[in-house]
Amino acid sequence: MTGNKTGTKVRSEREHMKKALDLISVLLLAAGAVYYLGGSFSGLAALSSGAALYLFNIYYFQGKEKTLSAVKKYLSRLIVPLIGIAAAVVSGAVIMLLTGYDPIESYTALFYGGFVKNWYVAVLNATPLIFTGLSIAFAFKAGLFNIGAEGQYYIGAMAGAWLGFKLELPPLIAIILVYAAGSFLASLWNFIPALLKVKTGAHEVITTMMFAHIARYLSPIFIRAFGGDPATSTHPYVTWELPESSWLLSFKSFIPDANYRLHTGILIAVAAAFFVSYVLENTKTGFEIKAVGFNKEAARVQGISVGKNIFIAMMFAGALAGMAGITQVLGLDHKLFENLQAGYGWNGISVALLASNNPVGVIFTSLLWGALDAGGQYMARTTHTPNSIVEIIKGIMLFLIVAKYIYIYAARLIKKKKGGGSV
Amino acid sequence: MIECCPYPPYEGNEKRGIMEEALETGRPILETRCITKQFPRVLANDEISILLNKGEILSILGENGAGKSTLMNILYGLYRPTSGEIILKGKEISFSSPRDAIRAGLGMVHQHFMLVETLTVTENIILGSEPSKGGVIDYQLAKKQVLEISELYGLHVDPDEKIENLSVGLQQRVEILKALYRHAEILILDEPTAVLTPQEVEELFRVIRALRDKGVSIIIITHKLEEVMAISERVYILRRGKLSGEGDIKDLTKEELANMMVGRDVVLRVDKKGNGKKKEAVFFIEDLSVLKKGGNALLDSVKLDVSPGEIVGIAGVDGNGQSELSQAVMGLVKIDKGSIRLNGKEISTLSTRERIDEGISFVPSDRQRDGLVLEMSISDNIIIGRHDRKPFVRSAGRINHREIRKYAEKLAVDFDIRTPSVSVSAASLSGGNQQKVILAREFSRSPVFLLLNQPTRGLDVGAIEYIHSRIMEMKQKGAAILLVSLELEEIFALSDRILVIYEGQIVRELKTNETTDYEVGLYMTGGRKKGSLNDGK
Repeated sequence: MTGNKTGTKVRSEREHMKKALDLISVLLLAAGAVYYLGGSFSGLAALSSGAALYLFNIYYFQGKEKTLSAVKKYLSRLIVPLIGIAAAVVSGAVIMLLTGYDPIESYTALFYGGFVKNWYVAVLNATPLIFTGLSIAFAFKAGLFNIGAEGQYYIGAMAGAWLGFKLELPPLIAIILVYAAGSFLASLWNFIPALLKVKTGAHEVITTMMFAHIARYLSPIFIRAFGGDPATSTHPYVTWELPESSWLLSFKSFIPDANYRLHTGILIAVAAAFFVSYVLENTKTGFEIKAVGFNKEAARVQGISVGKNIFIAMMFAGALAGMAGITQVLGLDHKLFENLQAGYGWNGISVALLASNNPVGVIFTSLLWGALDAGGQYMARTTHTPNSIVEIIKGIMLFLIVAKYIYIYAARLIKKKKGGGSV
Repeated sequence: MIECCPYPPYEGNEKRGIMEEALETGRPILETRCITKQFPRVLANDEISILLNKGEILSILGENGAGKSTLMNILYGLYRPTSGEIILKGKEISFSSPRDAIRAGLGMVHQHFMLVETLTVTENIILGSEPSKGGVIDYQLAKKQVLEISELYGLHVDPDEKIENLSVGLQQRVEILKALYRHAEILILDEPTAVLTPQEVEELFRVIRALRDKGVSIIIITHKLEEVMAISERVYILRRGKLSGEGDIKDLTKEELANMMVGRDVVLRVDKKGNGKKKEAVFFIEDLSVLKKGGNALLDSVKLDVSPGEIVGIAGVDGNGQSELSQAVMGLVKIDKGSIRLNGKEISTLSTRERIDEGISFVPSDRQRDGLVLEMSISDNIIIGRHDRKPFVRSAGRINHREIRKYAEKLAVDFDIRTPSVSVSAASLSGGNQQKVILAREFSRSPVFLLLNQPTRGLDVGAIEYIHSRIMEMKQKGAAILLVSLELEEIFALSDRILVIYEGQIVRELKTNETTDYEVGLYMTGGRKKGSLNDGK
């Protein structure tokens, strides 16, 4: 009896210890992420020590096998994307050689520019992409293609600017309200497409794309109503500046050597990614959305409402894409530009596909996309290699990762050859 | 490297003399030697050597997944064997596509017909090898050729009729003609009776014998013992990719065959003891009609009732309203008329969800389309439909993964779902185990009324036996069960009463122990028009 009791005690002590260590590793990871995304490379050290502690924890408390299987689990998720990236880089080099550019010089500039020198630009680029990528990935989970995220982005941006002007409230409250009301308005932009989809089966690709078109060209009108005046040279295609109370906190306020433009919208984006992941994995709604997305018929037979869940998914996707616009206005620009070429909605499709619709994966693919853009500009400035090579590499990368069947086919071919040869 | 002997010995078989004998007489037309086919994860064929004589009817018997189809696909050039050789008329051959096989004189009639519904019989038959004059198809010649062949083999069918207007039996005949048109000397029939009524089966057998008499060699792939006994002269039995036996039909009994096929003695009859006297019915359908968009009735004034502890079988040829009936009961299709009552409560106005809550469980016929979300885990599939109930969900809609796992693991044991873990996707399971997942989900809800639509479709004998025993268990527990099945054998094995459905109507009610499959078959094909329903009672 007593032996048994001490056994339980020891076990519970070990459990407490494990929990404490787990907490420390999560805190290290979080702090590391904040600093790294704030442009400080000391964050990388914290990130890697957090990851090491996490693995050590598994090793110490659950043994070698569990550690290996955990490592395997993460690696197996990364293997296909990594092969795709590597192959795209190699193809890019071949193209550069064929067109007379130096691949080593160009790649050095590209990666140095994207991941080191102008890392903050990469983070700035990634911030809206994470939101639009999440929007598209979430809709994909319900079997929907929210191709009109671009439109919801503009609605979010306009709503953010408008509310920013109108709400004269203390900073934090203003920001929360702008996010809440702005994303609500952006989700309303998907209301008609969602309703049409549920009631008549009208395809969301067509309806959301048309709505995107409308939203984009509403923005110049909006800008004129709020300060944009093409007659003057000071405010040609841009609204007034928002009051500072609705600006997002900049990293500079707590990391002194951070770039002054870098804002904490990226942290909201990362939090949103984890939130979406949680919704999908751990809630009733997420469960139903996935069931409907994978197999409508089976879901219907089990009494799950297909229409309701498609509706929820469309509205939520609209809200997420809207947040991209809000974050861009409140965090980076503090005003609304008539910038119809940014294409965050369209690029969101790429990052979502690249992450195979995994919400947390979207963070990484958005950062990669952002870094390639930032590095591409740096490369074009410092070497003679044109920026378009980056777009080519992105295209190849996307193609290789999305076309998973290439790998399956290649594996089969290899096996066939081996099988045939050994007889 | 292990040398595969020409005719590997297999356990308990002393009748190897047949092969040597056949070789001596010089009759063999097709032979496989030690065919092995290794798929990434399964050894589908393991050193299989078979022999087909000219002008004989050979059966290849085996459960689903025993490797029959793989072997035939190798013969037909769809797969290449990992090792082994195929010898056709004394020459070793290697097909790289079905085209080669057809050219060499092989024909195959697939279980699912490969016909273009909107084209005529002649057009379908010549499709792919059209007789032409300078690039223009010579329809007159084609029609003449088709008529000649059908005359020669006694396969009568109107060459100008469209496929969509033909019965399933006649469609199959067109498939056979298609092969013969391409000068097939060897005809492979894959599960030829799966879609036929008893009458059509007899007609098919007559055709097969006629073909044999004209010198065509025939291979029938099947898992039905009766068929092997009725039609073939010789049989090979496959089990788990290996040859487990062979022999002349006249030397074998049904029980011996079953034994070789499954590897143990099978109880072919379910113990059908009811629980005594019939109770008052709990489930009623009255005057139920579902109309097609054009106005045709898919279901026409259907009336039936089911009592607790009773199994009512719905027999019928596929496409006579069975799927509409189950969809109407589950609220998946709009009904145009009629009422559905459970425990005295009208449920035809309720949503699917509410019907499930009233105590209806449903096993759909297409398990991969309607029964499971294949991409989701086994545990998710077991609790889907109750994913928003306690204990699977905590407050605020948060899913309780631990409870789900615990529950799923328990049911996986209870229902003998063979899987390394309940967190793997349902897609990774075999058909039988997928069906067990559905059974686990539906049966564990303790339904008042249980609707089964082809619960053993496409499963092997072992799985069928298991599922039948679970259905009988639900009957013992007092569930009212409505069983829709295309397999008459299943209907007879399980049900207490049989309702025959034909063109959306219940045309006849029969007591299982007072009727024969022949009689049911007649009603199924509209052989007798709707009589007075009371006759059967």
